[in-house]
Amino acid sequence: MNGTLAVARYTLVELSRRRILLVFLILGAIGIAVLGGGLKFLYSFLSTTSGVAPSNADPAAFNRFLELLFVNYVFSALGTFGLLIAYAIGMTAIYHDLDSGAAVSIFSKPVSRLAFAAGKVAAAVAALVVIMAVLALEARFVMFLFGGGLENALTLEALAVVANTLVLMLIVLALSTWMNNIVAAVVAFVYYNVLSGVVVFVHNLVDNGVIGNSVVKTILDILYWLFPHQLVSSAAGDLARAQIALSGSTPQDGSQALASIPPASGVGDILWWAFVVCFFSGMLYYAVRRRQV
Amino acid sequence: MAPVVSVDGLRKRYRGSHPWAVDGVTFALEPGQAFGLLGPNGAGKSTVVKIICGLLRPDEGSVQLFGSDPGRPASRKDLGFAPEDPDFPKFLRASEVLDYFASLLGLDEAERKRRIPETLEFAGLDKERRHVRQFSKGMKQRLGIAQAILGRPKLLILDEPTADLDPLGRRDVRALIDQLKSSGVAVLLNSHLLSEVELVCDTVAILAKGRVLKEGTMAEVVPEGRNLEDVFVELVQANAPQHDQLPSFITDKPKP
Repeated sequence: MNGTLAVARYTLVELSRRRILLVFLILGAIGIAVLGGGLKFLYSFLSTTSGVAPSNADPAAFNRFLELLFVNYVFSALGTFGLLIAYAIGMTAIYHDLDSGAAVSIFSKPVSRLAFAAGKVAAAVAALVVIMAVLALEARFVMFLFGGGLENALTLEALAVVANTLVLMLIVLALSTWMNNIVAAVVAFVYYNVLSGVVVFVHNLVDNGVIGNSVVKTILDILYWLFPHQLVSSAAGDLARAQIALSGSTPQDGSQALASIPPASGVGDILWWAFVVCFFSGMLYYAVRRRQV
Repeated sequence: MAPVVSVDGLRKRYRGSHPWAVDGVTFALEPGQAFGLLGPNGAGKSTVVKIICGLLRPDEGSVQLFGSDPGRPASRKDLGFAPEDPDFPKFLRASEVLDYFASLLGLDEAERKRRIPETLEFAGLDKERRHVRQFSKGMKQRLGIAQAILGRPKLLILDEPTADLDPLGRRDVRALIDQLKSSGVAVLLNSHLLSEVELVCDTVAILAKGRVLKEGTMAEVVPEGRNLEDVFVELVQANAPQHDQLPSFITDKPKP
């Protein structure tokens, strides 16, 4: 336990001093602040000068529209920064110790490889969660500019982003233990973002009845459960519902639009995610254990 | 007296198709003994040392560190290892590196507060506030020795400990080895500096191509009237092809 805590503590100290993470955090924080403040200012300015918003528009509805726009952008920003931060941590947390030779001194101490791997994972997860929480919290404060109302959507989306990037980070950590960290990042990207995305997309086509062939359907069912598929929050549906309510569409149009949005992940998906996290944590431990330095 | 480390018929190769990096090495080291492991580049010295420290797994043979498998973390509790060309987490300061390693050694807070400043002072790094990534090779080497003695080991393994040190640093390392030996600590010294080995070691083993060519006390290995360097060169030359041909552009007479 002492070994795990020591590894986690000093890995966090190291991560907190890495400029790349600080740059991502500052860029993300500035981006969210500028996005929220800018949208509010721009639309307020335009609505009074050039008639972008009709003068008789309901101010509450207009604010809601701005919030929707902001939350849409924030979701993209969180996803992108989450990905960058996961790569930045995953590519360095273990690889730099192995590449520099620091691992030689560390592994000659009375610390088990399990304690080392657990400490590294704990520190990496803590760093990822803290940075994403800071960005999500900031976004939530900015939402008060627009009166609020979509906070739950933001919280759920932030949780989904953290959960998905955590899996990616574990894959990069595990791969970078036995290959170059840039190669590990590329392999993880192709596996988790490209192949997995394609499989999930095609599987959705099967679910919607677009592909009817039973053999193809079976193969895709198997493939679907071989790849870690990303968790989806109910935020996209919440946003769509808010947008429909704002636009005053008919219930029929609204239900058609909502049907095209992927449903939120259920208990089965969350359990599968937990299994994937355990699996890749196990792979990481195995790689660290087998590693000769 | 039970040996602190015993190596028996050790064999190791990095790939199946590669020649043996270590081929049948056997020796034992007792408390208070200083053992010199000598050999030309690629002789397998660092591989032997890394197997003893549990960093590499042997293919054949066995190693006992304080009576148990060096792969078990508990067996490394009394081991201090200063690796060749040492490096450390780059964004930590010297004091933080020592605190990190002291935690791994299981030292309590009071003991850490006592040992770390003294060890830093010994290593000449007590006033150093920069991160390790800004250290010179010599500073890293001194930090490597500092972390190796931090746990007050019963076996100290020094892999080329003075390669990047200045003459004063070398003198300090020699004094350290003498002091540790006299207090019963076993020292395994892996060095190219034969004069240094001759000064501090009681027994030596000369390796080439992974095999022990000669092993014994200093008096057994170095006959009277000769020095360790003569014996070393003679043994190694007899067991390896020589590359003493200088490049022609060096031997050619310059044109007027």
